[in-house]
Amino acid sequence: MCDRRRAPACRVAFAAMVVTALPADSQTPSWQPADSAYVWSFPRDHWSHAGYQTEWWYLTGHLTPVGDTAPRFGYQFTFFRVGLLPSGPELQSTWAASDLIMGHAALTDRRTGQHRFSELVYRATPLLGAFHPFPDTLLAWSRGPPGTGERWTLTWNGAAFNVAMRDTRARTGFALTTRPAKPLVFQGPNGFSRKGHGPTAASQYYSFTRLATRGTVVVDGDTLPVEGTSWMDKEFGSNQLGAGQVGWDWFSLHLDDGRELMLYVLRDSTGGVDYGRGTVVAGSGTVRFLTPADWTIDVRARWRSDATGAVYPARWRVRVPSAGLELDLEPVVANQENVSRLIADLAYWEGAVVVRDGRGAVIGRGYIELTGYAVLGRLPL
Amino acid sequence: MIRYLVRVVAANLRRAPSLYLLTIVGVALGVASVLTVQILNQSALAAFTGSVQAVSGEADLSVLGRTPTLPDSLYPAVLADPDVAGAWALSRTSVTLADRPDYFLDAVGVDFFAPIRIPFVTSRTGGPAVGATLANPAAVLATPGWTAVSPELATELDLAVGDTFTVTSGVRRARLKVGALVDFRRLTPLAGTRLIVLDLAQAQALLGEPGRIHQIDVRAVAGTELDALAGRLRETLGPGVDVLSPEQRTQRAEGLLAAFRLNLTALSLISVFVGLFLVYSATQASLVRRRAEFGLLRSLGATPRQVFAVIAVEVALLGALGVALGLPLGYWAARVNVEVVSATLTNLYLLDAIERLYVPRALFALAAAIGIGGAVAGALLPALDMSRRDTKTLLAAFTLHERLGSAALPLAGSGAALLAATGLWYVVGGHDWRGAGFVLAIALLAALPLGTPLLVQRLAALVRITDFGWRYSLRSLGVRLQTTAFAIAALGIAVSMLVGITLMIGSFRRTLEVWVNSSLRADVYITTPSWRGRSTEATLDSALAAALAALPGVRAVDRLRGFPGYTGERRIALAGVEMGIPYDDSHLPLLAGERTSALAAVHERGAVLISEPLARKTGLGLGDSLPLSVPTGERRFVVAGVYYDYSSEGGTVILSLPTLNAAFGAGPVNSIALYLAPGADAEATVDAIRARYPDTPLLLRSNRTLRAEVFTIFEQTFAITRMLQGMALLIAVTGITLTLLVLAHERLSELALYRALGAGTRQVFGIFVAEGIGMGALGLVLGGAGGMLLAAILILVINRAYFGWTIQVSVPLAALAWQAASLLAAAVAASLYPAFRASRTTAAELARDDV
Repeated sequence: MCDRRRAPACRVAFAAMVVTALPADSQTPSWQPADSAYVWSFPRDHWSHAGYQTEWWYLTGHLTPVGDTAPRFGYQFTFFRVGLLPSGPELQSTWAASDLIMGHAALTDRRTGQHRFSELVYRATPLLGAFHPFPDTLLAWSRGPPGTGERWTLTWNGAAFNVAMRDTRARTGFALTTRPAKPLVFQGPNGFSRKGHGPTAASQYYSFTRLATRGTVVVDGDTLPVEGTSWMDKEFGSNQLGAGQVGWDWFSLHLDDGRELMLYVLRDSTGGVDYGRGTVVAGSGTVRFLTPADWTIDVRARWRSDATGAVYPARWRVRVPSAGLELDLEPVVANQENVSRLIADLAYWEGAVVVRDGRGAVIGRGYIELTGYAVLGRLPL
Repeated sequence: MIRYLVRVVAANLRRAPSLYLLTIVGVALGVASVLTVQILNQSALAAFTGSVQAVSGEADLSVLGRTPTLPDSLYPAVLADPDVAGAWALSRTSVTLADRPDYFLDAVGVDFFAPIRIPFVTSRTGGPAVGATLANPAAVLATPGWTAVSPELATELDLAVGDTFTVTSGVRRARLKVGALVDFRRLTPLAGTRLIVLDLAQAQALLGEPGRIHQIDVRAVAGTELDALAGRLRETLGPGVDVLSPEQRTQRAEGLLAAFRLNLTALSLISVFVGLFLVYSATQASLVRRRAEFGLLRSLGATPRQVFAVIAVEVALLGALGVALGLPLGYWAARVNVEVVSATLTNLYLLDAIERLYVPRALFALAAAIGIGGAVAGALLPALDMSRRDTKTLLAAFTLHERLGSAALPLAGSGAALLAATGLWYVVGGHDWRGAGFVLAIALLAALPLGTPLLVQRLAALVRITDFGWRYSLRSLGVRLQTTAFAIAALGIAVSMLVGITLMIGSFRRTLEVWVNSSLRADVYITTPSWRGRSTEATLDSALAAALAALPGVRAVDRLRGFPGYTGERRIALAGVEMGIPYDDSHLPLLAGERTSALAAVHERGAVLISEPLARKTGLGLGDSLPLSVPTGERRFVVAGVYYDYSSEGGTVILSLPTLNAAFGAGPVNSIALYLAPGADAEATVDAIRARYPDTPLLLRSNRTLRAEVFTIFEQTFAITRMLQGMALLIAVTGITLTLLVLAHERLSELALYRALGAGTRQVFGIFVAEGIGMGALGLVLGGAGGMLLAAILILVINRAYFGWTIQVSVPLAALAWQAASLLAAAVAASLYPAFRASRTTAAELARDDV
């Protein structure tokens, strides 16, 4: 259907579908909005929520090869559920689907400076990928990217999640098991996370902020046993960015003192803060929610992507006076940009950072996500 | 010299426009024939290529089933190959508009959520390709029947986004809703406009079958060795698939059409050949009348080479004018005939219909080269002859005819030798070669003119002149050999073609009648409109089939399930048949095998019957085993009989329905045939069924209607042949006019003498008309003999080699007699004008010294 000489344009139609597919058809039942009074039920709520338009399971972390002393790898594993219809189409077909499954995975190697990004998008059908109902321990799976025989999987191990991905062509993959080192926390009161000023501008959001992680990483044919720490975000909702919002900066940091810090800032077209929220999780697991008044973020350096021309923030000083925090954040590798080959104009920076104190000592590690910086940038969701 | 040429051409055009005109007409008709055929040939292939490019333009390889559909479970296996950069599953279903059952659409099911580009446009008139902006992409799944259509189709059916239209696939009706406009011509100019696109899920649910697809397109990782990837995919996916590049798919279509295209090309070349004669005669005539001019040129110091150049350039100019006339004529003829050729493609070759003409520029160049080259070639001999003569001969009276007269015997001898040598070659070993028939035909068409002078000379010599009347006319044909022999030869060739093809078509038609009488025994035939598009999905549901079989007055029922299949690399039609009547009552005409036992073997022991074309092309016969591609690989079936079949050139295999279902998996039937109780009225039954199932898309035909349809298809198949035949004949009849005009001119002084001696204008007129009739009659004699031989070659050699069917020779006497009469009438008509010109010759012409 597509002239390969004009291959870049081939992605255009699809991009529109994934990202602008979201407004509901007037003929179809409407999507369910996030609700501050949502009644949570675990472990059921770790599984997918049909009826909400978007949902994701987002794992990031730092991994150290067994025997090494310092983390070598940063990783990201995400399954997105892109709702096409609130309920399945009444079609007698193996291709009838109400969701797309989109997978993004990345592995950053500090030793080589390489950042490898893998992606896939399929309609969720028994043939290509699926979100399974509770209590099937296989929460979600998908065929690998074209050229890869192995599936990508997200499974429930009874306490937290196992993830596995492979990309034959990118010569990369990992299989990781996680265990909660701290209990699950809600982001926002009752897990109701506001994303804007409107009453429905919100999602249901919880995190496992500290997950002990073990498993294997495959790089260029070598399989390395690894261990480390991960962060897992789970969100679902039916809301889009507000009209004035162009992207977001998201921070998830593990501090060596046992605390975790999460901040998000939804930017307006001037680059200013349209909306933001944050959470500090104490070593004991108690949670304090933050508003933009509680913090400042100064960008200390910027990095320009050769691939997309986008200019991203590249060093930050984050201050949360009420928590006594003054943190310098620094990417472990400058280029941790994820550029989609499947979806036109989808590029974002999702990268591992180290956290230093004012004297330059490493006091933690984390992940930062920066979207909406590429010129025609589309957001992952 | 150019200025000289221009002046000379202008002057001659004023003096004898008819000669120039005829050269131009000869070239034009030849060029038109070639162009028509080549445009149609190219358009046939372009229709196929266009659909491949539109749907699979981005693909390096396509995975196609050797059985009608593929399980979609193969798709992940394709995706998993390390050299696959992307893959797309597709379904292809031929559907018809519910209110226009003969209007077919190619419904393509795609995965809209795979990263493929669909060339959406914003408005019927084009607008920018927006590609990106489907306002609500989820609608492709959510809106029942969501379909993207081409702007042309939207215009033709008066559809706008949001409108609905109903199509049928088998007995199913599907209400489709125009969700977007899609213009595949943005991807390839050859793309058809009758392509509609819907989501694979909708296509499976509404038109096809869940879990089944027709094709997987594959894009390879850059730098991949495609043959290796194709081989690996074949191995992974099992024996039920073919993995082909777009080029290989086009080549297959070319292979399927090879015989069809070759035959048309051969016919068009005959027209060119006949046209060459016309050019020869016209040039000859023109040069004869201008010999004094050349004599003068030579005496003024022009070299023979210069004289030759003058003639050659002049003829080339005339050729160019002929080309200028022939190109639009050829294009027009192609347009007029495109529908019938398109019908042949779909009926006989199961290929895509031609939606519009495809005319690569190279074709015009080819036609122009043939026209100008042909004109120069036709003029070569007379021009050489004229340029080599010395001044004295040129300025004196001519002795040309005598020269040909003395050469008549050796010429005829060489013609006979050519025929004998070719015949011998054919008998000794040439018959093993597929193209041998064409060699024979060419030898025949070459020998025919070689023998003409002798024939004319000898026949004319038999005539004794008793008065100044028709005997005199006939006798003079033999005297003016140089002029008349060529016209008669040209006419002879055209008549050969006419008679040969008439005999062939007549025999074919008669054979078909006999075949239809014995094969079509049931009273009512029931299928679905989309079945004519040979869609595998065009099925009758089993409950309906059972209900139809249980109708009152129905004595017995035949059921048929058919789809395309493969034996080896050969694409064939498979038919699973369940017979409702006793084997003895079947009249299936067998070429090999005994009917009752063959049918018993098919129905009771899993044997098969193969059609004659398949038997000829594979060399398989009774008792041999036929390999068929089945979903699990290859299975072999014993051939219990070879039956006459004229429905498919590619070949057909008949199995019993249970055997077919066991080998390919069960499925509904595509058509049923009802045998009615004695006395029941087929047409009434058809009406009753129609009344009973008003909303079910059924194609109901009584035996009589179906027969009529068979012959309509037959006539369509040969329409283009008949047109070419007509063109050749037109060229030949024009030749008679030309020849007579030349004669009138050559004999100016002779005629003037007769007039001086008292011959009346009527007498002169009569002499010329008689000469025209004489030439027509000689052409008929010659052409009749040549035509019979040509028919034998066509029927017994070419048809069998290329199409593989037996044609029982039968002479359509009435048609031939009618043609002979009209040819003679045409000869009379063609001689009227020259006769009129000649009769106006006055005795005063004697005084002219340029004759």
